[in-house]
Amino acid sequence: MEQPKVGVFLSDCGKQLSEILDFDALTNFVKGVPNVALIARGSEFWRGKGLQTIVDAVKTGKINRVVVAESITKVSDVNIAQAVEDAGLNSYLVEVLDIKDHCAWPHRNAPKEATEKAKAMLLSAIERAKLLEPIEKLEFPALKSALVIGGGIGGMQTAVDLADLGFEVNLIEKQPFLGGLAARAGRFFPTDDCAICIQPPSSDVKTITHTSRKCVYRSGLSEIPNLNILTNASVVAVEGVPGNYKVTIEKKPRYVDADKCVACDKCVSVCPVEAPDEYNANLTNRKAIYINVPSVYPQIYTIDEDACKFKDCAKCVSACPTNAIDLDQKPEQVTYNVGSIIVATGFKEFDASAIKEYHYDNYPDVITNLELARMIDSFGPTGGAIVRPSDGKPAKKIVFVQCAGSRDRRYNPYCSGICCMISLKNASLIKEANPDAEVSICYIDIRTTGREHEYYYERARDMGIKFIKGRPTEIYADEEKGKLIVDVEDALLKRFLDLEADLVVLATAMVPPEGTAELAEILDIDLEADGFFKEYNAKLRPTETKQKGIFLCGGATFPKDAPTTSLHAHSAALKAAKFLNSGKIVKDLRTAIINDEYCGDCEFCPVMCPFGAITLEPTTENHFVARVNDLLCEGCGVCVGTCPLNAIELKNSTPNQMAAQIDALLSVNGTSKPLVLAICCQECGHTAVDSSGMAKMEYPANVRIIKVPCAGIVRVNQILEAFKAGAQGVMIVGCKTDGCHYEVGSEKAENKADSAKVLLKEYGIEPERLEMFKMVYIEGAQFAEAAQMMTERVAKLGTLKLMGDS
Amino acid sequence: MLHHNVKKAEAISFSEEVTCRHGGETLTACYQCGTCASSCPVARLDSRFNPREILKLALLGEKDEVLSGDAIWLCTSCFNCQERCPQNVEIAELIFALRNIAIEAGNSPNIYADFGGALIADGRIVAISKFVEKKREEFGLPPLKPVGVEDLNKILEATGFTKPEQKEASK
Amino acid sequence: MKRFAIFLGCTIPARQPNYELSARKTLEKLDVELVDLDNFTCCCPAPIQSINLESSQAIAAYNICLAEEAGLDIVALCNGCFESLAMANAALKKDKKLKAEINKVLAKVGKEFQGTIEVKHFLQVLIEDIGLKKIQEKVTKPLSSLKVAPFYGCHSLRPSKLLQLDDPERPQIFENLIESLGAEPLEYRNKLKCCGGLLKGISDDTALELAREKLANTNKAGADCISTLCPFCFVALDIGQIQVKGKFQEIYDMPILHYSELLALALGVAPEELALRSHKIKADKVLEKIA
Ligand SMILES: Cc1cc2nc3c(=O)[nH]c(=O)nc-3n(C[C@H](O)[C@H](O)[C@H](O)COP(=O)(O)OP(=O)(O)OC[C@H]3O[C@@H](n4cnc5c(N)ncnc54)[C@H](O)[C@@H]3O)c2cc1C
Ligand code: SF4
Ligand code: SF4
Repeated sequence: MEQPKVGVFLSDCGKQLSEILDFDALTNFVKGVPNVALIARGSEFWRGKGLQTIVDAVKTGKINRVVVAESITKVSDVNIAQAVEDAGLNSYLVEVLDIKDHCAWPHRNAPKEATEKAKAMLLSAIERAKLLEPIEKLEFPALKSALVIGGGIGGMQTAVDLADLGFEVNLIEKQPFLGGLAARAGRFFPTDDCAICIQPPSSDVKTITHTSRKCVYRSGLSEIPNLNILTNASVVAVEGVPGNYKVTIEKKPRYVDADKCVACDKCVSVCPVEAPDEYNANLTNRKAIYINVPSVYPQIYTIDEDACKFKDCAKCVSACPTNAIDLDQKPEQVTYNVGSIIVATGFKEFDASAIKEYHYDNYPDVITNLELARMIDSFGPTGGAIVRPSDGKPAKKIVFVQCAGSRDRRYNPYCSGICCMISLKNASLIKEANPDAEVSICYIDIRTTGREHEYYYERARDMGIKFIKGRPTEIYADEEKGKLIVDVEDALLKRFLDLEADLVVLATAMVPPEGTAELAEILDIDLEADGFFKEYNAKLRPTETKQKGIFLCGGATFPKDAPTTSLHAHSAALKAAKFLNSGKIVKDLRTAIINDEYCGDCEFCPVMCPFGAITLEPTTENHFVARVNDLLCEGCGVCVGTCPLNAIELKNSTPNQMAAQIDALLSVNGTSKPLVLAICCQECGHTAVDSSGMAKMEYPANVRIIKVPCAGIVRVNQILEAFKAGAQGVMIVGCKTDGCHYEVGSEKAENKADSAKVLLKEYGIEPERLEMFKMVYIEGAQFAEAAQMMTERVAKLGTLKLMGDS
Repeated sequence: MLHHNVKKAEAISFSEEVTCRHGGETLTACYQCGTCASSCPVARLDSRFNPREILKLALLGEKDEVLSGDAIWLCTSCFNCQERCPQNVEIAELIFALRNIAIEAGNSPNIYADFGGALIADGRIVAISKFVEKKREEFGLPPLKPVGVEDLNKILEATGFTKPEQKEASK
Repeated sequence: MKRFAIFLGCTIPARQPNYELSARKTLEKLDVELVDLDNFTCCCPAPIQSINLESSQAIAAYNICLAEEAGLDIVALCNGCFESLAMANAALKKDKKLKAEINKVLAKVGKEFQGTIEVKHFLQVLIEDIGLKKIQEKVTKPLSSLKVAPFYGCHSLRPSKLLQLDDPERPQIFENLIESLGAEPLEYRNKLKCCGGLLKGISDDTALELAREKLANTNKAGADCISTLCPFCFVALDIGQIQVKGKFQEIYDMPILHYSELLALALGVAPEELALRSHKIKADKVLEKIA
């Protein structure tokens, strides 16, 4: 490789830094450093004329490494890198240091010491620059296609969005019909219109208008040319990488040929087998061949495998005028190649049988909100009449019980968020249709937090619905009265009420649907403690996952109402589109590299990698070696810190590079205090240092900062080496455990600091010389305080005596 | 059932005093849903007692009202409330903790002085008379084995057992 | 032959020879050997827990240690004893910190809780160590046509997290045991609610009201008798009837029999051998029905 020729660009930030730091001394110092080919001074180098100076020097070939001392490095970094890249030099051959916020400002009252520290910082940057290696980009085509798993309103809307944008979309639904919960819920708050409508696709040239909202069956969803809908289908395997997934899907037989069925209902009239109608909450029976309601999509009949007698009956086969029925259909596997996957599997009602004292499992008149919704629906099994399932008689007294299984540490500790609104809606619908009905709602807290939601609560009170603040202890059957009794304390009155009820409606918790854990496993994405899919970052990236090509929407991440599901669905579509849009995936290969010779296939790194980028692969017989998937590797270095055999290196954060930097940082002290090395992660740790400097918080100049990608990269022996290199104290500064940008890095670093302390003792080094700190950007004050504290602590301990020293 | 053993500062609130005690740990989980009250067989018969209310008073720091009132003594320790509390508040055990504090402060119905006294004296809370021993023999029951009173008293001492005071006029 | 250390507690030996006698006789007939250990003390139930929870736990642990030293599991007849001992046993087995704390105390008397034995309720021994099948086989005088209202009491079931005797909401073992004698277990309102026993001496009216409700509900359900598992429940419902009669002029004449007594009768023990005369409400009605 060509000899490094380093250009050093010293910015005084509009003269403000030269009032503190001795720039002539700095220039002289840099001049003496080998391989420095150019020194330039100016007032800023990250834009305008200053930046042009860098570009020119690169273009003329005078320099092939760039070191810039600047301020606000987090911004200037990007600009300089881009310009250097455009000028023909790899952008990774640039090192930018912040001599303002990390040196001049925090140490402005000790200018001499600050100047010495600035020398050390410059030397460190130059030494690092010399060892930097260019980093190539990986570029490969991404398929402009997506798979959407789950055909509820979330999945459907995402699918339509992506199809409208021109992507090939496959929408798969595990049930025989689309719609999910919305297909059963009847009407939806806050608009009080039907639950099962969506915005039609823009491919609908004739009837689409700005205002249109259409029932799913007439939305034209099925006619979008680039949207392929598969029902009765679920994912069984996924291979490949973001941008190029190969998905295997198993499709259960429908036994009815979609191309031939004309939905004439003749089959139903001849079918002799009845089975409970699950769609209608088992309130009625349906035939073994059936369709949920006439207005479903697809309008194709289906056969219930568990009920049908097949060859022993086959009456429908001969009744069908179009020969659509095929009792010999077998499960099929299909594969799709897609660039990205969107999970929209929604949620389901908690099985309230677990709350034994509520007797959901053995009192037919204890039902759930979803079951009630089927009764309220005028197309439903009771034609809209509210009845007691036990005897079909009208239900006059109805009691709702909120938080059934939610906010309950025995089952689901969280608030499901939407059930208060669902009960308010359903109670009002009942009261509206039957003003004589006595409707009560037992609640712990009523939660109506969306726009227009509180109005539902107001209206319910206005309609005469009674509210009882109290969670019932039990529901029991009073045989004499022929009623259920809801045993509850009205906590506001401190009075015990035995509420009589014909019907008790449980506002059950909402929980992940069956198969969630299996799907997470197949897709290699995480679940939260509550069992729902975990988003990459709950605040800012609520539709992304740790897998770059896999997105989430709707109830799959947590129970949501329809407005929030829609927001989430559109957002997921946009994120997926952004990811696939260019038709290629470009990725910097700043990745981890395995040294095969050292790798002892211990399985630590594959488990630890927060992105699932490492797998163990067989090489020779009985031998495995770790392999990094360059596409998945995010370059955090957690694996590096994990590997007990030092078999992994992260490009441009190699032990050699870090050692050179540390040596340089500790080569000049210039203060009377003991040198303290602060190893800061590039995220919260390093930015906390920024913010302390920006706010001009002071701490002593003996504290030297080295930036690493993630605190998790630090290895125990590096800490030891830092002490050998002259550090009297070492701080590791990372993100808060929950806020670690690489999930586990900060926690791992903390564990490592703990074990390092034990080791230090063996080397005769006081363990207090090492400390781990966790902070966020806004905690600059904490950083300054920690730096001060460590300095004092180490000073008190006196000069470090390493074993072997005299 | 974990004893935090937290040594708190002087000015600790009553709810902290309760939560750092044996049996009192779960107090702050209570969100006043009233499940305990409606589970309680006593609360509906005697308006002086309501477990939810006791917890609320403790949470609000109404120390005197909790410790000197009748309420805490009216719990039958049936554990119905604790079984059904959605927040896993150990209500029956909390009542024990509150009673322990009250007894330390010298408040308790007289019957507890009898229990405490009998325990210390005989290692039993129901005395065995000569008459009983004769009766047992008649029924063909084996003679009773000795009771480890000495050990028991050592344990009482080591755990700071204070015998509740007998008051002049009973509550 | 399975051996157990029998834990009598305070009330049974002093006041309920009928329970002790029937329990000893039935377990013997079912091939269980009972060992009476030295030094067992009061189990420290709720009234003592009210004074000092920690002392109570330590003394419960002390008693468990005695059985550990003898290498025997404990069978407790009284719900109160069962609860105190089983709760302490479970808590100490689960919670290392608590165990260390209590062991510090026990060291003063030269004991150490190990966690090597089980504390079982009489009912549990019947179900787990003897089994319904064996009981059925040994029944010589089936209690056919007898309608029995099972009354679990509180401290056999709750707190279920620690006691784990049966499902606290829908327990079945008592019912199954009644059935195994050929009798019919009855359902009745508030079956799992308290007898009021522990309120005696603190709030007698409420205590009596609770007992009265049990009597009314079992009577309404058509019970020939109530079966109990605990000396306190027995007293509350047996003597309680005299008080209910005095205060409310309600006469239930509802015999209260410990399960052990029903079991003894079904196993063919003669009524005269059972100390039935210590019942305030005579069991004659029951004896006639099963004769
Ligand atoms: C009783 C009730 C009443 C409601 N009322 C209202 C209301 O009035 N207003 C309102 O705004 N919101 C209401 N909601 C909430 C609303 O239903 C949801 O916001 C909405 O349904 C969420 O849509 P989704 O697509 O995310 O999930 P879902 O509707 O749950 O759809 C998910 C779909 O994915 C499918 N699926 C699951 N797993 C797989 C798999 N592994 N493979 C393939 N497919 C799979 C399911 O079969 C289902 O079709 C109510 C919910 C309930 C339960
Ligand atoms: S939304 Fe209402 S009913 Fe649902 S869990 Fe939350 S508080 Fe309970
Ligand atoms: S049941 Fe639990 S949460 Fe509810 S009021 Fe009682 S103690 Fe509090």
